[in-house]
Amino acid sequence: MKKRFLKKPGAGIAAVPLWMFTLVFVAGPMVYMLILSFLTRDPSWGVVNEFTLDNYAKILNPVYAGTYLSSLKLALSTTAITLVIGYPFGYFMARLSEKWKKRLMMLVVVPFWTNALVRMYGWIIIFRSNGLLDKLLMGLGVTDAPLRLLYTYPAVLVGMVYALLPFMILSVYSSVEKMDWSLVEAARDLGASKARAFWTVTAKLTLPGVLSGVILTFIPSMGLFFIADVLGGGKFMLVGNLIRDQLFSARDWPFAAALAVILTLLTTLFLWLYRKITHVRDLEGIL
Amino acid sequence: MKKKASVFPKIYLGVILALTYVPIIIVIIYSFNASKSATAWGGWSLDWYAKLFRNADLFDALKNSVVLALMSSLAAGVIGTAGAVGMARCKSRLAGAVEYVSTLPIMIPEIILGMVFMAFFTLLGLKFGMLTLFLGHTSFCIPYVYMIVKARLVGLDKSLPEAARDLGASGFRAFWDVTLPLIMPGILSGMLLAFAMSLDDVVISIFVTGARTVTLPVKIYTQIKTGITPEINALCTLMLLATFVLVTLSGILGKKRNS
Amino acid sequence: MKKWLCIALALVLCVLPLAGCGAQAEKEELIVYTWTGYIPDDVIQAFEEETGINVIYNSFETNEEMLAKLENTNGGEYDLVLASDYIIKLAGDKGLIGELDKEQIPNLKNIDPLYQGFFYDPENKLTVPYAPGIPLIVYDPSRVSCEITGYSSLWDPSLKDSIAVMDSTRVINGFALKTLGESFNTEDLDKIRQAGDKLLTLAPNIRLLSVDQTHEYLLNEEVSVALLFTSQVALALQGNPNLKVVYPTEGLGFGVDAMFVPSQAPNADNAYAFLNYILDGKVGAHISEQILYLCPNQAAYEFLPEAFADSLKITGSDIPNGEFIMDVSADAAELHNQIYTAFKAACGQ
Repeated sequence: MKKRFLKKPGAGIAAVPLWMFTLVFVAGPMVYMLILSFLTRDPSWGVVNEFTLDNYAKILNPVYAGTYLSSLKLALSTTAITLVIGYPFGYFMARLSEKWKKRLMMLVVVPFWTNALVRMYGWIIIFRSNGLLDKLLMGLGVTDAPLRLLYTYPAVLVGMVYALLPFMILSVYSSVEKMDWSLVEAARDLGASKARAFWTVTAKLTLPGVLSGVILTFIPSMGLFFIADVLGGGKFMLVGNLIRDQLFSARDWPFAAALAVILTLLTTLFLWLYRKITHVRDLEGIL
Repeated sequence: MKKKASVFPKIYLGVILALTYVPIIIVIIYSFNASKSATAWGGWSLDWYAKLFRNADLFDALKNSVVLALMSSLAAGVIGTAGAVGMARCKSRLAGAVEYVSTLPIMIPEIILGMVFMAFFTLLGLKFGMLTLFLGHTSFCIPYVYMIVKARLVGLDKSLPEAARDLGASGFRAFWDVTLPLIMPGILSGMLLAFAMSLDDVVISIFVTGARTVTLPVKIYTQIKTGITPEINALCTLMLLATFVLVTLSGILGKKRNS
Repeated sequence: MKKWLCIALALVLCVLPLAGCGAQAEKEELIVYTWTGYIPDDVIQAFEEETGINVIYNSFETNEEMLAKLENTNGGEYDLVLASDYIIKLAGDKGLIGELDKEQIPNLKNIDPLYQGFFYDPENKLTVPYAPGIPLIVYDPSRVSCEITGYSSLWDPSLKDSIAVMDSTRVINGFALKTLGESFNTEDLDKIRQAGDKLLTLAPNIRLLSVDQTHEYLLNEEVSVALLFTSQVALALQGNPNLKVVYPTEGLGFGVDAMFVPSQAPNADNAYAFLNYILDGKVGAHISEQILYLCPNQAAYEFLPEAFADSLKITGSDIPNGEFIMDVSADAAELHNQIYTAFKAACGQ
């Protein structure tokens, strides 16, 4: 019996707890959400067991469909900025000495351990009218009146990039770390310029890391809503905010479920595209 | 020329890191704020630390959070590792589907997960409390362990466990004595990540927390709504300090073991 | 064999957390459920010292969150809930509220009848009013150039990007309806739609939508005009006595946050003891002084300091003019939801 354990079907048994947990506590709730999205809301509270497609029809209403677009816009800009800042960071970090790599890794990861909401409060103190940034700029004579940066789109962007940057850095870092530098040298030896060698070799070899960084920033930024609330003054309607409002203010659970189903499908689509393009099955760099 | 090229990366790394630490440093400075407001400055004071140590509720919440994070990262460590080992042998379409579903919790926005858990647990008649929190947190902790361990297994030299088998070790022994130590760093880093994620989770917890089981992030979140006091800053400062001490200690211990 | 081992292991892991819950002290408890900081800490401490009952304070963020949790527990787990009028009506309709044992609350007689008999509890059997209030407009005259007399004034172009309002669907849609001369609770879909169109033109003037601490934004000059709840009005005036308060000419809103004991409350007796405690005249005055809402406790009136009346500047006489926000039909609710979402999106443009 023991001998059978590592034979092909036998070792699969180790996955049984995972299968069971997934079936009951992930697939179960998901299926329930799907069912819920086809039910009717009770006018006062709760759900009536009556089939309807209205919840999906409602999403087509420009008011609600627009929240998907603005979420998409914010997620894309966040991801783009995160990439532009995070790629060089991860790249340079991977080229440091082992000792410094470890130190920097710690410095990048430690902010994770401060509560994300509290860190956002740091930004409020900086951005608010007559706050630290205003005082600094006015003191230096750069501006002569408060900038009123808080509760604007740029403030939300800063918060989002700030929250998600570590994911991009770590993804890029791990793929640059693994890279075979002899290929770059070979390209240089064959006469390629530094820039050309970077584009033709380095960029291609680190693409999986970049893409997993993109996924790891893009997906959360589609659903993050508290940053938009705290730094955006509640003015930026994202899908996450809409779902929250449907649950906790409009009491329309079936509509919230329908919104969530569409969002899950969109997310899955992006993941599928990612795997299609990169042929990578696992996200790199989150270790 | 060469010198210039080596200086720029260091400046870049320094500037970006400094920027990421600005809000954190502000949080720390404001924990010594004499004013009650979390955003206006009123002079230096240690009052908030004194108040923090008298606030039993906050410590209860911290205890809940740590217990919860320990349990769910531990459960995720076991289920996720066993899952990754088992799934490495399964190549069927069904296995692919299970893998997709089991990693869904970190692939979809948190608010969706919170919402479905709330509805589903109510449907099952499970009362909100430590159990629902544990189930919810475990579900999003598993993928971290699973994915990292699986990546380790893929890169593993398969000849080693096979050699052990050839030398007469049972399948289980070969796994226990050879494979497991090799993937241990992966398991540990997965669990550590899961622990950090669980410790910081607000959204899912809000949906499934019960009358006696408030976690720290939930407490902070509801308090922020009525204006956070520097007490929260003080708590975060202490947690940050603890993290630095832990990380530095493990670094020193690691060095000793190596030498 | 191995399979069962794994399952057993998984089960152990699932049961593990339950073990932690088993060991609970035998001490008398009272589990309170409301917004953070709504019941003053010192009042809770004094009650704990007087009775030896340990108060566990649980917070929710929205009324709806509270009802969802209460539904999950079938009206159990929590002993005393403090929430808003309309949600109390819903909870009552669902049978989640227990009738008050009036014998255990002799101080019920202290409640000012002005704050009783409302739609959510017409026979006064279920609730104790805690914080009645009227939302008002407050502005900083030194930073506002136009005259503000009511909701309509908020549309003035000079107020671009300088108003803070509360993030509440029905309150915001409600004041737009008032500017059209309609009731908050109108069922006329055309009127609601009109109000929605009108709100879209207000969007450029909105600097932020917030639920709590809105007065802070007025005080730290982030905005110059704010639509505030009663306590925030008082706090704003305390922070800056030069602020001006406006009673909108189009009509006032009114709301009550009240306490109730859930139907399956595990420690209902302790909840009654607490209700009786806070309905005491002195304690009631102390509470109102701190939470800065209207005081529904007539025995407390003599203990209220002069300054309280000054800073609040609202009297019971305004209440007959105030209108509650109540539930409307599904169609109207859906339309409210839609125009409010459009309004918020427009604010972010």
